[in-house]
Amino acid sequence: MDKHKDMPPERRAEPDAIERLLRETEAVRSEIREAAASVDWDALSGLIADRAMAADRERRRAGAAPRRAAWLAALRMRPVLAGLAAGLVLGAAVMYFVLRAPGGGAGRDEGYHASGEFLDRAELEMARRNAVDYLEKSQYMLREVFESPDEGPAAPAALRSERARSLLQKKRYLNSQLERFQMAKAKAICDQIEMLFRELAQIDDDLPAAELGRIRDYIEERQLLLKINLVKKELQSGV
Amino acid sequence: MSEISAEREAGAAEIDRLLERVKEGDREAFVTITKLYQRKVFVLVYSILRDREDALDVVQETFLRLHQKAGLYRPGSPFQGWLLQMAKNISIDHYRKHRKKRLEWETAKPLEEIPLAAGPSREGDSAAADLRQAFARSVEALAERQKMVFVMRHYSELQFNEISEAMKISIGTAKSLHFKAVQNLRKRLAPVLGIEP
Repeated sequence: MDKHKDMPPERRAEPDAIERLLRETEAVRSEIREAAASVDWDALSGLIADRAMAADRERRRAGAAPRRAAWLAALRMRPVLAGLAAGLVLGAAVMYFVLRAPGGGAGRDEGYHASGEFLDRAELEMARRNAVDYLEKSQYMLREVFESPDEGPAAPAALRSERARSLLQKKRYLNSQLERFQMAKAKAICDQIEMLFRELAQIDDDLPAAELGRIRDYIEERQLLLKINLVKKELQSGV
Repeated sequence: MSEISAEREAGAAEIDRLLERVKEGDREAFVTITKLYQRKVFVLVYSILRDREDALDVVQETFLRLHQKAGLYRPGSPFQGWLLQMAKNISIDHYRKHRKKRLEWETAKPLEEIPLAAGPSREGDSAAADLRQAFARSVEALAERQKMVFVMRHYSELQFNEISEAMKISIGTAKSLHFKAVQNLRKRLAPVLGIEP
């Protein structure tokens, strides 16, 4: 390092500059050594260890916190979940009993309505059939009584009277149906027939020929058998 | 046991064992490792930051991070290089965070206004102070990797193999960066040193 001191001044500048640079680095190293000498290394290592242990405990607590939070959240949610489950069960039970109870619930009303219409139609149909049945039986009885006037009544008087009373009972039952469904034509012919059956029901003995003649005239005059056929056809066609 | 002798006696295997104990939460093992390397870490950090209190903060932060990341150390790999790399990175982060504040503290006097080479007519103290300031600012102005190699080599007095481990570069690259750093310093300080750039 001292070799350059023997050099001429113009050639000595570069080595001198490098030497000054190195002195600067040595100055910094000296500065570092002074700073390091002022440090209590035993205390520093202890302080670092204490901080490291504390940070480690903090990390473990922080790591455990989310798990605890998850458990606490789950515990907090348990009443909510239980309530939700109970609500579902209770709701299902209420719906079951409401829908099952007669007249309960909107759905039930809709079902009843449809059934009512069906029942109305069924009752109308039943009324028609009952009316047709009544007219057929009445027609059969009238023919039996009066279609063989020369040979006398085909059936004994007692039996005729019994059939007449039976038909009168049916007529009472049929009256409400005829009125309800406004079957005016059927009711009118049934009322006319009823008058004849009242007379027949009251006569247990064989009718005299004059009496039979009078009833026949009544039937023919009012064209009861024809009207019965027409009304029957109307009822059977559903008009 | 002195720090130097302790460092010499603690071979790589001993370091591995100590680190295993540190991972298990052994405080004494951690204190032992800290005592072995804290001075070396301080020198490197001080070389970069040139401030005692900042250096002490970064030393603590470095060993705290070592304690936290001890599980990442691969047994058999150069521990000192790994530790110094950690210290260097924390120092650079710290330096960047506080650079603005440091610049405010530093003189705004441009390099060109600093008197040229300390001539025989000048009194030594003032010239030396100017050169020191110019030198410090020239080192600061170096590219980061050149600066780190120069600081590690001349301030921390690390060998090139230690520098290569701490910077994760080859020894040849470390030497090359050192050469470029010296050339750039000489060039920048030529007016101050009184030599041709």
